Amino acid sequence: MIIENNERFRTYTSPEVFEKLKEYRSVSEMWKHCLSEYADRPAIGDDGKLFTFAQTEERAAQFRGIFSSNGISGNIGLLMPNSFELAAAFLAVSTSGNTAVVLPAQLDAVSVFGCSMKFGLKALIYMPGMEDKLSLIKEKAPALLLIPADASADNASSSVDADADDSCVIMFTGGTTGKSKAVLLSHGAVMQGVVNGCYGYEEVFYQRYLLVLPLSHIFGLVRNLLTSLYTGSTIYICRNTKDMFRDIEQYRPTILVLVPALAEMALMLSKKFGKNMLGEDMKYIICGAAAVAPYLAEEYAKLGITLFPGYGLTETANLVSGNPEPLKKPDSVGIPYAHQELRIENGELLIKGANMMKDYVGEETDGRDNDGWFHTGDLARFDDDGFLYITGRIKELIVLSNGENVSPAEVEAHFNELALVQDSQVFEDVNENGVHILALEVVPRATEMAALKAKDPSADAAEVLMSELTRINRSLPSFQRVSRIVIRDTDFERTPSMKIVRYHKCS
Amino acid sequence: MQLTRAEILERLKEILISSDAVPPEICDACNEDSDLFTDIGLSSIGMLYVVIAIEEAFHVRFTGMGVSDFRTVRDVINHIEEHLS
Repeated sequence: MIIENNERFRTYTSPEVFEKLKEYRSVSEMWKHCLSEYADRPAIGDDGKLFTFAQTEERAAQFRGIFSSNGISGNIGLLMPNSFELAAAFLAVSTSGNTAVVLPAQLDAVSVFGCSMKFGLKALIYMPGMEDKLSLIKEKAPALLLIPADASADNASSSVDADADDSCVIMFTGGTTGKSKAVLLSHGAVMQGVVNGCYGYEEVFYQRYLLVLPLSHIFGLVRNLLTSLYTGSTIYICRNTKDMFRDIEQYRPTILVLVPALAEMALMLSKKFGKNMLGEDMKYIICGAAAVAPYLAEEYAKLGITLFPGYGLTETANLVSGNPEPLKKPDSVGIPYAHQELRIENGELLIKGANMMKDYVGEETDGRDNDGWFHTGDLARFDDDGFLYITGRIKELIVLSNGENVSPAEVEAHFNELALVQDSQVFEDVNENGVHILALEVVPRATEMAALKAKDPSADAAEVLMSELTRINRSLPSFQRVSRIVIRDTDFERTPSMKIVRYHKCS
Repeated sequence: MQLTRAEILERLKEILISSDAVPPEICDACNEDSDLFTDIGLSSIGMLYVVIAIEEAFHVRFTGMGVSDFRTVRDVINHIEEHLS
């Protein structure tokens, strides 16, 4: 199926809005357009301050001045939590002919150093207060220019143009760890994602967004920040997710971009406290990055909010399809956007298109077959109306309902460090309430368990092991933490080559 | 609002049940020593729900902290008690 344009979405939008959705070849070109159209409009609200498009450009120009006066050209890392500074720094890098590497703010010093080396960073912009994450860089790579986010330049520098094929940004597939795959996206791909996200609903321009997702996640960067800027809207930055409902009360956003888990949570809170926690001004929820439960659209409709499910990948600059008819087809992830070719082979969704990444950085594979098709790892089907449905995953990676990706092997490695552990398996399961959880099963190492018992006959070896497993679990980042631990008294089922047969309880 | 620790625990259990992420029997059995993640099985989003619901229900605000700063039910009760006083 080849999708040449977004005509299918025409009926869901007014003619004026539809005609206003222009395509740009680069972030630089889009930003130039924003500055000519919306200069004095509020672009970004953060920490009680509101910055116009022109003020945001002033800050970006300062960063560009720093790059230029230091002769910086190439990949520039961004290590900051969501903030005005991160948004301005991203714009500065992408409008200066450089490539932004958006590092998840929670990376530790070792991962930050590893990323700096792997991506050959020429400079790293960081938020003051995060210096402890730079210790290894300072020690082992002193030539790398470290720029605090509040630095200013002697001379500001203007933006430069970029072509659609030029590199724009490197994003992580999981958005949560330096060990994830790094995806290199061109300006053209990013802009394709930005524009496509504007189709399928009525009120597109001059909206109010609230940024809850991290900008190190493609959904946050493309569908939240850049789409907000592109449409002359204002994006308010929620600095602490637990304060999102206070921010909603204060900033009265009209569009929210959420992972399903947050949309579910907001709905449950609304039910518990008998009020619409998302506020009376909220019109749309753009929901994706994980499977969207069909009931969500129906429940939100009762609150007067339209929830649009969608489908996308980091590798496709976020957006592949969006569902403009969530009540009619609640199971679907929608209609594919323009300038893509989609095909289903052996049940798996394959994609080509203008939104497709240039490459994985530092990987042997680029995820494409010999004919250039990207293999998504997702099982899919189309219905007679051309609506797409995702029916499962063939990849091993676990995608949690909050959109975070967990590599089981990565988590297991932590538990396998214990001498008492022979093997472990981390998997997705469903608890008694139907909630998806991360679970761990462990096969104890019999010799070590016996040695422990011999050393201290009063010791309960299983209790010691459980306590050690619990300790390690607590030390993990919260998205990798398991909710259930079981110590097995038998081995896992194994293949003829003695590999563990992995559980697929949720696929 | 003056509440005893036992009363706070009871209201906390109600919030846990309403989160739909924890089986009622686990909520009923939890005590101050219960670990929110390993004993009760809360995910990071479940924990977020609980913290926001506590702020709403008790009209308190936990400033300068993230949801992962809580480990046990006791931590949560301590914070609520502290803010209520």
